[in-house]
Amino acid sequence: MSDEGRMARMKERLASLQDAPNALRLATQSAWRGRERGLAVVAGVFLASLVITTVLSYGVGLSQIFFQESLETEVYDAKVEFRRAPAEGSSGWTNNTTVLQDVCGELLDGFDEFEDCMIVLGRQGLHTTSFFSEEFAYAQPLEILEVVDDTNLNWTSDVFEYPELADAGPPSSTVRAVRFIDDSGFDGVFADRVKDTVITGLGAWPNASTAVDQRSIMLPASVASDARAEVGDTLESLTFAMVVDRNLAVEGGIPEADCQGGDIKPSENGMVYCRMLVTVNNLTVAGVYEEAPLANPTIPANALILHLDVLEEAQRQALMNNDHVYLAMAVDRAALPTSSTADAAEWLDDVQRRVGQGNYTDAGISLVYIDIIGGTISFLNIFLGLIQTFDYIIMVPIVILSLSVLVYGLVLSLEQRRREISIHRVIGADADRLQRMVLVELGVMSLVAWLAGYVLALAAVPGVLSAVGFMAFEPSGVNVNPALGLASTIVTALATIGLALLFGRSRSRRFLEMEIEEGVRRTSEAAKPKTWLHALCFGVGGIGTLDTWVELQTGGDGLYSNFFLEGLLGIFGPFLLWIGGALLLGRLGALGPQLMQLLLGRTPLLKDVRRGLKGSGSTESVNRLAVIMLLTLSIVTLAAVQGYTGTLVDERTADAQVGGDLQVNFETPVNMSTSIEVLRDVGGQDLAVSATTTPSLFLRSSDGDAYQTWIVMNGSEDVLRWGEQSLPGDDVGTSLGVLANGTFSVGEDAAFSLDLWGSGRDGRSDRGDDLLEADDDRSEVRRFTYEEVNITVNTDDAGGLPDLNVLLEAYRVTLALDLSYVDLSGSDLSERDFGVTDLSRTNLSGADLTGANLSGALMIGTDLSGADLSGADLSGAVWAPVLSPFETPTPGFTGANLSGADLTGLFGLDLTGMDLNTTADLTGAICPDGVLANESGCANGFSQIPPPAIAPLFITPGAVNITVIPHDLDLRYVGTHEFIPGVPAATLPSSLIIGEGTWRGFIGDDVADNHTATTWTFALPDVDGDDLKGLRASIEADARVGSASDWTTAHEAVERNGGLIFGTQGLLSLQFVVASLAAVASSFVFLSLVLNQRQKELAILQAIGAAPGQIIRLVLFEILSIVLMSMVLGVGLGIGLALSFNGFFEVFGFIFQIFGGSSTTITRTLVYPWGSLALVSASVFGAVVLALLVTTRRTLAADLASVLKGE
Amino acid sequence: MMLRIESLTKAFGSGANKLHVLKGVDMTIEEGEMVALMGPSGSGKSTLLNIIGGLLAADGGSIALDDRTYGLKGPASVVDVRRNHVGWIFQDFHLIDGLSAIDNVAFALEVAGVSSKEAEQRAIEALERVGLGDRMQFVPEQLSGGQQQRVAIARAIAGERRLLLADEPTGNLDIASAAEVLDLFKSLCADESKSMSILMVTHDPDLASKADRMLLLRDGQTVASDIRSAWGLDEGGEEE
Repeated sequence: MSDEGRMARMKERLASLQDAPNALRLATQSAWRGRERGLAVVAGVFLASLVITTVLSYGVGLSQIFFQESLETEVYDAKVEFRRAPAEGSSGWTNNTTVLQDVCGELLDGFDEFEDCMIVLGRQGLHTTSFFSEEFAYAQPLEILEVVDDTNLNWTSDVFEYPELADAGPPSSTVRAVRFIDDSGFDGVFADRVKDTVITGLGAWPNASTAVDQRSIMLPASVASDARAEVGDTLESLTFAMVVDRNLAVEGGIPEADCQGGDIKPSENGMVYCRMLVTVNNLTVAGVYEEAPLANPTIPANALILHLDVLEEAQRQALMNNDHVYLAMAVDRAALPTSSTADAAEWLDDVQRRVGQGNYTDAGISLVYIDIIGGTISFLNIFLGLIQTFDYIIMVPIVILSLSVLVYGLVLSLEQRRREISIHRVIGADADRLQRMVLVELGVMSLVAWLAGYVLALAAVPGVLSAVGFMAFEPSGVNVNPALGLASTIVTALATIGLALLFGRSRSRRFLEMEIEEGVRRTSEAAKPKTWLHALCFGVGGIGTLDTWVELQTGGDGLYSNFFLEGLLGIFGPFLLWIGGALLLGRLGALGPQLMQLLLGRTPLLKDVRRGLKGSGSTESVNRLAVIMLLTLSIVTLAAVQGYTGTLVDERTADAQVGGDLQVNFETPVNMSTSIEVLRDVGGQDLAVSATTTPSLFLRSSDGDAYQTWIVMNGSEDVLRWGEQSLPGDDVGTSLGVLANGTFSVGEDAAFSLDLWGSGRDGRSDRGDDLLEADDDRSEVRRFTYEEVNITVNTDDAGGLPDLNVLLEAYRVTLALDLSYVDLSGSDLSERDFGVTDLSRTNLSGADLTGANLSGALMIGTDLSGADLSGADLSGAVWAPVLSPFETPTPGFTGANLSGADLTGLFGLDLTGMDLNTTADLTGAICPDGVLANESGCANGFSQIPPPAIAPLFITPGAVNITVIPHDLDLRYVGTHEFIPGVPAATLPSSLIIGEGTWRGFIGDDVADNHTATTWTFALPDVDGDDLKGLRASIEADARVGSASDWTTAHEAVERNGGLIFGTQGLLSLQFVVASLAAVASSFVFLSLVLNQRQKELAILQAIGAAPGQIIRLVLFEILSIVLMSMVLGVGLGIGLALSFNGFFEVFGFIFQIFGGSSTTITRTLVYPWGSLALVSASVFGAVVLALLVTTRRTLAADLASVLKGE
Repeated sequence: MMLRIESLTKAFGSGANKLHVLKGVDMTIEEGEMVALMGPSGSGKSTLLNIIGGLLAADGGSIALDDRTYGLKGPASVVDVRRNHVGWIFQDFHLIDGLSAIDNVAFALEVAGVSSKEAEQRAIEALERVGLGDRMQFVPEQLSGGQQQRVAIARAIAGERRLLLADEPTGNLDIASAAEVLDLFKSLCADESKSMSILMVTHDPDLASKADRMLLLRDGQTVASDIRSAWGLDEGGEEE
């Protein structure tokens, strides 16, 4: 190119640059003038921007809320301590609290990541960031030794035993700890995090000055409960142990001479500690707090908490000198990157690194940052990944919808420009300029629309995130900031503005390539729709739906069982069904006018205009309107159906877990009136309350198998929250009536082993939720035997012994773990620590129990045949092959390997004459009498001295008489059950349910009337919501109560999970709202475009003599019939979609239930909220009528003459 | 006298921009007469036709068509005029795209209250009359321009209308088709049993010459009523 050429081009460019503002102004003006046709583009871009931004921003917010809620139980985010343990003469540490406060100040100033910093005197330093360091086992907390309250003798050392700690981390301590914290713990971020855990009615978290003045002490609930301590109690003293020295036991421990004035304590971790006792006096109980679940063991959980000023200066210094000091840090959790595990870990690592690098204050303090929440986050992120995958997938339809509105809008809008472009070409405009004109105008419109959608989405997301149910919102109290990053923002812009411009570019280019004459022509050739493709999509998706439907109906495998096919169709099926269905049914919807003509053609409504309907429905825009209606309404339906179903599943889950409003486990078995009494003692004497319990016993079938049998009490429907799914049949009232007397239902497994209908044993048809009538072939009468065990205790002169059953029960409740009736045969249980476990009737045959700890276990009827118990600890265990001679004896220790086992004190209650020596290998075992087994085994057999806990039962041999009276029951089978509210669901598949009438028949009214149980379920008609939570916490703190659960808390635990999947409710609500709005808005936009296109036709009709009324009637009937038909088809498609999505929901729901440890799985039986659907449909319909009337009237008001002239 | 128009006025716009298009038009058309309305572009020919056809309201004056008087009310008030008195024929035919020839004709009858059966019968008759008996089920895009215009004519004559208003009826047709349309017009006017009058706007002098009479619209008034003066030729000028 010559220089001149270059110059000329430069000039041209400069000129066009100078023109730019002008061009933009013109484009804006042009956009404004063309706002009618632009409306479609604006609506499309706006909707797409709104939806895409919301989805992305929701993802960000969801992560934050999920993390923050999951971290709610963690009060401390990190433990910052001296890099090296304090030692005299070494530097980098201090024993001056003022200096430590300065360190806190420097940390808060220097790190944006920190929200608060608190000095804590408590557990010793770890001085390492490695979680696998042995220091995690060695560093000691401040263990409590003694609390003295002169007026309360319950402050025994038992109160401070905390064996659960051993299960939660390295074996550091199993004793309750005390912790001293500074002002920040009473007034700052830390206080905010714990304030709400204080149980309502049991004090409050004090502020710092009160905590010092009153010498306040905060007690964890179980300590307060065990010690029967109350708020306001004065504690004369609290003594705790401060570790001053330590040495490994294998290295000789600590000689007494080196620990003068202190006590020497060997620990399970192999370390021997020298501890000085420190006492604080004159404390006041300020409050009782709910204990957090045991999580990260870095800081001992659920300590007693006091202000550090309660200590004397010398005590504080001593604690600091001995390494019992650290800084607790609160990080700004909202700032935590939640995009990925790696990001979060990197963020925390960075904080850790930077804290470790610095030297703080003039004293040159050197620190180490020990992360607490990082591990939790890593785990949560995996979970969150699953959640987000699911959530994004269910948002696909609404994203597609918004994009299709955008594309349709563009098509309609650009179609109107075709003629204009061609005319411009006729008058000589060049192609580039024309294209630029179109694109700039498009750009201006879509930029405005994108911005509006973006801003609205960011404003709406916090609301969506607060969804607790379908269309139910409640602020979560979590601080979320779901702002999008730059990259995400660009994505939203590209997906909307970019798409609009790309599309506009290709369209306008095509217009430019067209023959001018063709472009000027008023009609365009519509592309032939690919019907075969739509039908194929619809068909394939339909197969998936049909499969889900068949599965739901029969509970079987459905149409196909190939795993790959199931997965493929499960995920893609819904989308194929949806897209194919909308396009295919859209054409059906466009046939509405023809249908209307057939139906109403002869009536006065349509008689004179019916011929006009003949030609409609074929136009492209009408077809598109039908498709959009189908898409939107199917999403509305999908969202409403799945949303309501999710909400209901949440409620059902809470119902099944808690059973009623409140479930209480008492420390000892109580009868109904006592249980109510306890409740009224706490909740007030006028508390309206009704109670029920679900007793269980064993029934033996005719072939000798024993089945756990639950008794459903009369009136349980007033207390228990029954679900339709629980009992056979559709109506719980009817089922309960039928079950009341002389009948039984079974779980699926029991149905199988009893060979009853309902197990699926004979194929798919042999299954269902039917309540069987007496004359039903599937019903049958079975004989069961109840073995009434009468244990009579021969009273002695002193006045008799308590009831044996009660004693045994009392012994059983003291056992830490209940594994009774569990089948563990063949399991690898080597080295397991069962401790005092209830193993009654547990099947351990063939199990590997080498080295296991079974000391103190209760083993009645336990099957240990062939088990490997070599080296196991069975000391102090209680053994009996059967409790009564009536029972078939289990094989007991037959073939078991007890070589090297410790049987010291193994108590045998042998009623069958089973001999330990002849049955098991006892080589090298320590016999029950404490001597080593010889070649012939243990000469004295089982110990005859019962362990102390049940000794009273066996004080005098022969004091106990056991008789068994069998009662034969002929019961009629009525069907299969799934669960009983409030009863652990795991046992129910293999259990029977009978009614109270049946039970009374053999147990007798006296026993029934005085039935005692530890678990009672209550209905509290006047208490709900937070009051119920408060009452539960108060009851839990009562000494007579072991634990309690309430409906509100259980429901809250699941309600944000939308049918168990976190965040789903918000998204479904969003889909519902957006799709409803899209339906209304697009009907307005599309109708005005459609009518615009038809303005001429309406003018012709007028010219040939049609009255305005006739035209309105014609248009109304035509459009409304299309809309109505599309709506009906859309709702139908939505139901199909909800059905086909259900398989998908079920799979994810199942995964989350497993993760969440939920025992009761609620089947997602779809609920159809016809009311809401009707409301939305009516609104859309109303909007369409309104839009029609407005636009038709406007069209009619136009100057007929000029419309006909085409001006 | 079938149509009598007296001092019809019409102006567009307002204030300084007000444009007086018709400034007191007087004219009459007899039964069975075909009148060509001519004049330079913008002289108000179409405006006059629109007012007569009930698509536009005049500002002043009156129209008497048979026993119906109107002229000052908007299109919504003169539905009956369009329905029963005047039939429209446009340059662009203005058929309804989705409907067949017979439906296009019958629909116009049905909206006027004729029963479906009778409407079809009369549509068939009208289409046969315009020579389209073999094209009745064809939709507009399957017909040629001349055929489409004949469907439009059939639609206009199928009712009891006595006056046809034709706005450049041959403007989009080739010469042969135009001649056919004109022949059709002539036969319609000549039909003794159902005599109609036709008022036709045209620029085509050849077409105009075939009319019984010619009107020239100039300066908002009808200034001549014979072909010579319509063409601005003085007496003694050349015959064409």
